Amino acid sequence: MLEQAVIYTFVAFVLIGGGLAAFSRQILYAIIGLGISLLGLAGLFLNLGSPFVAAMQVLIYIGGITVAIVFAMMLSIAMSIRPPDPDARKLGFAIACAVIFFGAVAHLIRGAQFQQIASPASEKAWSVGALGHALLTHYNVVFETLSLVLLLAIIGAILIARKALPKENS
Amino acid sequence: MTLESYLLVGAALFSLGLIGALSHRNLIAVLIGIELMMNAASLNLMAFNRFVVTDPTTGQIFVLIIIGLAAAEVAIFLSIILRIYRAYHDIDAEKLTKLSG
Amino acid sequence: MDTLTLILLTTISPLACFIIAIIFLVQQPRAAQGLVLFGSAVSLLSAIGLLAQGPVEPLRFLWFQSGAIQLQFGFILDGPSLMFGVVVAFITACIMLYSIGYMAHDPSKTRYFAMLSFFAWSMLSFVYAVDLLQSFIFWELVGLSSFFLIGFWFEKPEAAGAARKAFLMTRVGDVGLFIGILLILQLVSNFDIPSLLDPQTGLSTQVSPGILNAITLLIFIGIMGKSAQFPLHTWLPDAMEGPTPVSALLHSATMVAAGVFLMIRLHPLFMAAQDTALIVLSIATFTAILASTIAMVDTDIKKVLAYSSISQLGFMLMALAAGSLFAGVFHLITHAVFKALLFLCSGIYIHAYHTNSMAEIGRSGGRRLKATTIGLIIGGAALSGVPPLAGFWSKEEIFAQLGHNGFNIYMAGAFLAAFLTAYYTFRMIFLITKPDQAPASDHSHPEPLNMKAPVLILTLGAIALGFFGSNIAHGLGLIPQHHSVILMIPTVGVVILGILIAYLDYGRDNAPRTGFISKIAPLNTLFTNKWYIDEVYRVTIVAITHALSRILHWIENHVLDGNYDRFGLGILRTGVKSTRIQGGWMQLYLGWAIILLAVVALYLGLQ
Repeated sequence: MLEQAVIYTFVAFVLIGGGLAAFSRQILYAIIGLGISLLGLAGLFLNLGSPFVAAMQVLIYIGGITVAIVFAMMLSIAMSIRPPDPDARKLGFAIACAVIFFGAVAHLIRGAQFQQIASPASEKAWSVGALGHALLTHYNVVFETLSLVLLLAIIGAILIARKALPKENS
Repeated sequence: MTLESYLLVGAALFSLGLIGALSHRNLIAVLIGIELMMNAASLNLMAFNRFVVTDPTTGQIFVLIIIGLAAAEVAIFLSIILRIYRAYHDIDAEKLTKLSG
Repeated sequence: MDTLTLILLTTISPLACFIIAIIFLVQQPRAAQGLVLFGSAVSLLSAIGLLAQGPVEPLRFLWFQSGAIQLQFGFILDGPSLMFGVVVAFITACIMLYSIGYMAHDPSKTRYFAMLSFFAWSMLSFVYAVDLLQSFIFWELVGLSSFFLIGFWFEKPEAAGAARKAFLMTRVGDVGLFIGILLILQLVSNFDIPSLLDPQTGLSTQVSPGILNAITLLIFIGIMGKSAQFPLHTWLPDAMEGPTPVSALLHSATMVAAGVFLMIRLHPLFMAAQDTALIVLSIATFTAILASTIAMVDTDIKKVLAYSSISQLGFMLMALAAGSLFAGVFHLITHAVFKALLFLCSGIYIHAYHTNSMAEIGRSGGRRLKATTIGLIIGGAALSGVPPLAGFWSKEEIFAQLGHNGFNIYMAGAFLAAFLTAYYTFRMIFLITKPDQAPASDHSHPEPLNMKAPVLILTLGAIALGFFGSNIAHGLGLIPQHHSVILMIPTVGVVILGILIAYLDYGRDNAPRTGFISKIAPLNTLFTNKWYIDEVYRVTIVAITHALSRILHWIENHVLDGNYDRFGLGILRTGVKSTRIQGGWMQLYLGWAIILLAVVALYLGLQ
């Protein structure tokens, strides 16, 4: 019962945070909403049996990405302080899209017949050790690719964001 | 909670992210919406991993990859935002219409 | 030599000469003319050899087969083709010989002789063709080569125009002919002429009389174009723009003769189609009278001869339509000889005096060219039907046939035409031999031998050919009927009447030198203006064509072009409108993408 309550709390975190992130006009509130939502998600991951992924979610997303977004907000301060006037048409379009999407997906989920396994696999299979082993053996290509992508992203980010070099006098 | 309810939560989160990404004019808000959508996908994967897949490492690694890609994406996105801000002194998504026909 | 070798020699040697001359001998006109003359001689001798062998079974070679339709290439060697083949080869040879003198100073002699050879090849192949499609191919080639020859002096706009007119006018008829041939193909899937003509199993037994009438009428339209029958006759007088030897060839043994020969070839079909025969008879009679009346008033010697050709072709078709194969063939052959003779004579006058006007020729001293003048008189007399020259016998045969079969109205028309023929022929002769003033000075040079020789040969032919009527009848497999002398009296009567009036008008001393017809002003005007047929064409067909082309032009501009423009502009506008979708507003793109994704997912999930 308590477990159920905890889970629903996490779900509430996810949805309330998401709602805040989606509808807030102030960018800072949106970021906070995102953080709440991510935190709830981490809780759900924990509940789904993966403490490692939950930890990574907290570390990378909340600790890294959210903070990076706060930096971006501060670097482009103008809009973030004076949010533009709400555009009802745009919001309507967005909500319509979301409703259509949610309706379709919910309908599909209701109709789908998933072949569920009886019970979760053994605790050992969920351990960090098993994950690390899989990453370095069976999924090593994926692992290496991911590191390469991150490297490229860093280089790309630097290249894009740097100031243009002063032009040589001709 | 059953698989269906997790999936519905994921879908709801995705829809919220979609609203965020589509309704705001601030590029950073758009980015936040996109992050929400990616997390919704992560939730789905984790739920499937828990209830459907026999080898539970698969889904976790998938989610780890998503987290890694999200980090890379955010890095790129933020640098683009900075670049745009420097070029336009604004990050209004509606003003970035150079590709308009 | 066997038949195959002979027939191949007859038909292929002109073609070979044409190819060699046009490719290799452009710079050596003398060699070209020698070669072509040699080829023509070979062709003539082989044709005579074939005639001497007598009729044999047709030679057929399978060209290709498509379903049940067999297309053959081959040679039909029966009476008409054998005899007419000799006539064609003979006249062609005479005219080539004559052309050596006539075209002596022409810069494109090689082209001229090569085209003559090509012409001979087309015509001979047409005459011997066994398959209807083969016939049609060579029929068209005859038209093509006459186009080249009429327009030989293509630098002259009149010549080019005349060539074009001849080509287009005959094409009008050829459309009819081609439809007729296709109808035959569709109905009986057979192009073999002998089997089409077979009285037991041929075309006339397989289709209803109405269809047969339609087919023969369509074929007759082709004949009308080729043989210059009303109303498609106007190209023939214009075709006089070509060199005179070409006119001689065109009017005697080739081109116009091709039409008559096609009717000879398909004579049984025309006989089975009674309505068509009657139509042919009417048109031919009318054409004969019409052309004669125009010839009465024209002053150009070649035009007179041209109209006389039209009228004589009318006679031939009358004979054929009235049911006498023999009379048609006979008149075709005799006419070929004496008309070639007359044209060659006129060519000599034109060559010597550089004028086409008969009165001018007379004043310049035309009668001093003795051999030519004799040829002209003999040929003219043969044309008029003066006994005992060639034309008399063949015309007599036609009258007898018309009378025998009870076509009295047509016989009256034929008598009128014969009277007019005698009149205008002797008008021509008197205008040349009895000039109104003595020739100023004698600067004429005698005709060269190579021009005189063909004239002499043809003169002999015009005198003698009439007596070979029974041989021709035998060649056709018919028994000649001897007509009583009493029947000949009206024939001779109208001829003498015609000559007499011509003498009174032009021949006697102090003659008025105007035709009796000028006393009837409206008729005179009508005839002088060639019955206004060209004018009628101009205000009807040409005007209709112009109007039609204007309408089509309007449709082109406003309907076709306009709609395509509208179509194109519509696409442009759609593009301009649709760029609004492409507003560069990426959130909209994203939204639509998601909606689409949802729809696709729903679609896939619901399957």
